[in-house]
Amino acid sequence: MQVYRASLRYMLRHPWQLALSLLGVALGVAVVVAVDLANQSAGRAFELSTASLTGATTHQVLGGPSGIPEAWYVDLRTRQGVLQAAPVVEGQARIVDAPERGLRLLGVDPLAEGDFRSGFGALTEQGTLGGLMSRPDRFAMLSSDLDEMGLSVGDRVDVEIGGRTLELIVAAALQPERELDARGLRDVMVMDIGAAQGALGRHGWLDRVDLILPDREAVERVQTLLPADAQLLEAEARNAALEQMASAFQLNLTAFSLLALVVGAFLIYNTMTFSVVQRRQLLGLLRAVGVTRAQIFRLILLEALLIGAVGTVAGLLLGVALSHVLLELVGRTINDLYFMLSVRELALSPWSLALGVLLGLGMTVVAAFSPAVEATGTPPRAALSRAALELGVRRQLPRVAMVGLVLALLGLALLVTGAGLVAAFAGLFLLMIGWALMVPVMMRLLLHLLLPLLGRFAGLSGRMAGRGVEAGLSRTSVAAAALMIAVSAVVGVGTMVDSFRYTFSQWLDATLRADVYVSVPGSGQVQPDAVTALQDTEGVETWSTARYGRVGSGEQRHRLRVFHLPPEGKRAFRLQSGNGEEVWAAFREEDVVLVTEPFAWHQRVAVGDRLPLRTPDGERDFRVIGVIYDYSTSEGAVVMSRQTYDRWWDDPVVNSVALYGVEGSETEALIRRLRENAGAVQPLRYQSNAELRRLSLDIFDQTFTITQVLRLLAILVAVVGVLSALMALALERAREYAALRAVGFTPAQIWTLVLGQNALVGGIAGLLALPLGMGLAAALVLVINQRSFGWSMQMAFPPEVLGQAFLLSLAAALVAGLYPAWRMAKTPPALALREEAA
Amino acid sequence: MRRRWWVLLVVLVGLLLFLLWPREPARDADQADGFSVVDMLTGEQAAEGYARVTGPESLNFPEDHGAHPEYRHEWWYVTGNLHGEGNRHFGYQITFFRFNVDPEATDGESAWSTNQVWMAHLALTDSETGRYFHHERFARGAVGLAGAEVEPFRVWLEDWRLEGQEGDDIMPLQLTASEGDVAVSLTLEAAKPLVLQGDRGYSQKGPEPGNASRYFSYTRLRTAGELRVGGETFQVQGLSWMDREWGSSVLSEAQRGWDWFSLQLDDGVDIMFYTLRLRDGDVDPRSKGLWVEQDGSYTVLLREAVELEAVRHWDSPAGDARYPVAWHLRVPERDLALEVEATLDDQELRTGFRYWEGAVRIRGEREGTPVRGHGYAELTGYAD
Repeated sequence: MQVYRASLRYMLRHPWQLALSLLGVALGVAVVVAVDLANQSAGRAFELSTASLTGATTHQVLGGPSGIPEAWYVDLRTRQGVLQAAPVVEGQARIVDAPERGLRLLGVDPLAEGDFRSGFGALTEQGTLGGLMSRPDRFAMLSSDLDEMGLSVGDRVDVEIGGRTLELIVAAALQPERELDARGLRDVMVMDIGAAQGALGRHGWLDRVDLILPDREAVERVQTLLPADAQLLEAEARNAALEQMASAFQLNLTAFSLLALVVGAFLIYNTMTFSVVQRRQLLGLLRAVGVTRAQIFRLILLEALLIGAVGTVAGLLLGVALSHVLLELVGRTINDLYFMLSVRELALSPWSLALGVLLGLGMTVVAAFSPAVEATGTPPRAALSRAALELGVRRQLPRVAMVGLVLALLGLALLVTGAGLVAAFAGLFLLMIGWALMVPVMMRLLLHLLLPLLGRFAGLSGRMAGRGVEAGLSRTSVAAAALMIAVSAVVGVGTMVDSFRYTFSQWLDATLRADVYVSVPGSGQVQPDAVTALQDTEGVETWSTARYGRVGSGEQRHRLRVFHLPPEGKRAFRLQSGNGEEVWAAFREEDVVLVTEPFAWHQRVAVGDRLPLRTPDGERDFRVIGVIYDYSTSEGAVVMSRQTYDRWWDDPVVNSVALYGVEGSETEALIRRLRENAGAVQPLRYQSNAELRRLSLDIFDQTFTITQVLRLLAILVAVVGVLSALMALALERAREYAALRAVGFTPAQIWTLVLGQNALVGGIAGLLALPLGMGLAAALVLVINQRSFGWSMQMAFPPEVLGQAFLLSLAAALVAGLYPAWRMAKTPPALALREEAA
Repeated sequence: MRRRWWVLLVVLVGLLLFLLWPREPARDADQADGFSVVDMLTGEQAAEGYARVTGPESLNFPEDHGAHPEYRHEWWYVTGNLHGEGNRHFGYQITFFRFNVDPEATDGESAWSTNQVWMAHLALTDSETGRYFHHERFARGAVGLAGAEVEPFRVWLEDWRLEGQEGDDIMPLQLTASEGDVAVSLTLEAAKPLVLQGDRGYSQKGPEPGNASRYFSYTRLRTAGELRVGGETFQVQGLSWMDREWGSSVLSEAQRGWDWFSLQLDDGVDIMFYTLRLRDGDVDPRSKGLWVEQDGSYTVLLREAVELEAVRHWDSPAGDARYPVAWHLRVPERDLALEVEATLDDQELRTGFRYWEGAVRIRGEREGTPVRGHGYAELTGYAD
């Protein structure tokens, strides 16, 4: 009993220390919980939306690049007697007054929906069905979505679909009876299939036909009816494949969040170690009055557990709050990189919270284990002096460093040779922890090098600061390691994002070679007359066209890009592998394709392999002749020449036209002329090279906002960590400083001493963080990103990121010294001495 | 003391989990709402915008065999009594309903865009085993999913089809439909020419102007073909009846429903008769019928000329509905007395629009001579 009261009193007497370590745990847990919640919520949103939108669908028929001819569907129903079939066209929409909501536009036949999606009952109600089916400007949405936007049935709304603004009328408010649908249909705009075809420019075509096929026999029958370039896929498998795409991204987020927790663990370790050291006398006394080693051990662990528990609870609450912010960012990235998903509701998964509790408490116990063991080593009456303790620690330094080295090497080995993302992240963490264990030895070496310099440039105070740091190495090194870990994470993530952005912009420069890019707003076909008008415009030297779509391959569907290229256009492709000469010789003439780098990675395809693609003549093999760099999609794409495409597909559609101006032509003037020529045929979007480049980079930055936020959070944890560590260190020395004051040091000299010590620790931590940070960056860029997304990137170490990290470390250390310095300088020496003695 | 720490911890974590645990969503319920045929067939509401039937007009063939999309509703109604080997009796019904759900709509750009909704019912009565099957379908009247055409005559909803010939005379007809356990493939040949119901095809249904329909029938169609019921196939022959009707409103507020009979006697006479039941229990004086002689000549049967008395009732297992299933029908001025009884009590279509439509067998006397026959009865407005 007495023991616990003593422990409580100690904690209350050091409120700052307590508060900061609580904050450390709380932040660590909060970040992990927030990221996990955001991930889980995205997963849940995906599940709900697929459950609602897939409904009872068992199979889906998906077509070639242009889709499925609607006549095929009609024949299915009227001639083949396949009646559980529902046609779908899909697209994206945005309500002009609520631009932040990306809407999924779903075109369905309400009368065919009956067996499929249960949330669409309102579509066939009296008074609704007629308007929906017969008019091109009606849509339905969840009634809760309409409420949020202040809309009601009958209202007119401006909606942007495919780059055009249409005035639509709210025809119905969906009020699904199933809770599942009420959530799964969020941000879904439902139109009649005819209206949706009109809005999306897809007259005559369907994106897919959903089917309910009861047995094997029915599946086989539909197989025989398929158009040659269409596929019959299981709905579940297709959804799973879709979700799989985003999993690498989500794993990355989880790993980043664990980083915060590691830093948090260092904070706890730091706090507990200090509390043990500061109480050596007390602990000795306790041992003297008969408290056993086991009791002391339990006491320290229990203290840690209490800090862990309170910090964890605070962390959970903070995490839930934080996850709301992350939720939106995660949703945005998934939308940009993978698929349309509305993530607006937090799914409070008990597992995420349990994970937070487990990690928070677990980390605390692990971090407190070593200080607790140390505390049991306190002999009765604490005969051991501080100096002796330091000596003991110092003797152990080489051993700790050796362990660190082994761990770091193990980590490196895992990174280099291991397969898969989990191995890579395990390697990354091992590397960090190993390096952290080597910090004390490296710090000692650095101090030895620095001491003479300090003496020369900063006189007595400088020398004393250096000696002080070295003398308290058992404590200062822990603080430095915690700070170092945090700063290196900042460097690593920052460098990764910068490298990626650099690589991306380099690729944009290489790829965007034409002067003007013309496409249909949103997406759609550039009319043949418009293509001709554009090509014939004065000042156009040469041109290229592109067709985008999807093509079946076995049980999969790949992105297909078809290019009609002028000779200059070829330079837009940078080959990662494949023989340049051969590639260009064969590209037009033979049945060959190029694949993008992520495609090659995800599909395990290499130059020389044969890729089966579904053509109107059935599945045909296309030889892969090259792998090209491409950063536009993580999913990857197959690239084909227009000539090859036209040999197999009867599909003259062009989705965009790129125009190269004659030497020295002015882009704005060219766009004006193009607009004049083609404007009469079709409203088109004209983008200059520079504009498209800027837009692409904007999207890139938006996609990586989540990473930047996590980076900021890491900085926050780091600052808290160093504040906590260095403040404790300075306060622990209160008595020492009081003695100095008593022997005639001025307050100014005390200021210099305290800040100098902190600056030294911060500086060393910052310095040591740089190599680890760069190592982390290399691991992230070369191994983890490559494995997650299939992109190879060039490393870019922007000096400002490194400089910032070093300054961050230094500044944090200095700020942490302000309060102790102010207190030491202010307190009359006698009082300080007496206080400590008590 | 040590325990208490743990207790505190457990309580804290437990409380947090409790507060944050996602609540189970409300239990999933079945979807109840949907397209309402009842609304389409009743009431005066929202009839504006539709073409109205306001008086006798001459019919134009073959055009009038096809659809009249500007009217609110229309149907091609085929019922029949067939016999297979060993005189095994079957009744069948196939009806194509057309509804205009948005009279003011203009044609959209898309081929899918339409204001025409089609519904079809297929029903089969196997009187010997007491089995009754019925199916319902919906489709829009666009892109070829459902519709009606002339030259040649054709009305269809997906793969349920009624197809005829080019020109004014669309006979013979070929009827093909299957779903689930039931399939019919029949040829229908007119034994009598078509008859115009009411006043030259103008059938007044209520006191309000325009509350009427255009109505004509083929009362005797010799039928032969094949039926499939479950796994069994039957070669069958017998008589069918086809009604054609279109208009923009059927029942007025005071009317509750109708009892409609098509009776085919073995002496060659066909009788159609319907009573419009009022909400107050009376019979609307506009109820009437048609007497068609062996040679196809016909005269209107006024309500007063016919005595109809229900003698047995049957309660639907779906509840809330009690249908008459046996009647005494007399036409004193023609010395006709018939006992009409359902071949099977449960011939209720429990679809979105609940009604009873079933085969009936007839026994009786005409001018002192025994007559027999078969027919169909349609009972609406019994289920709410």
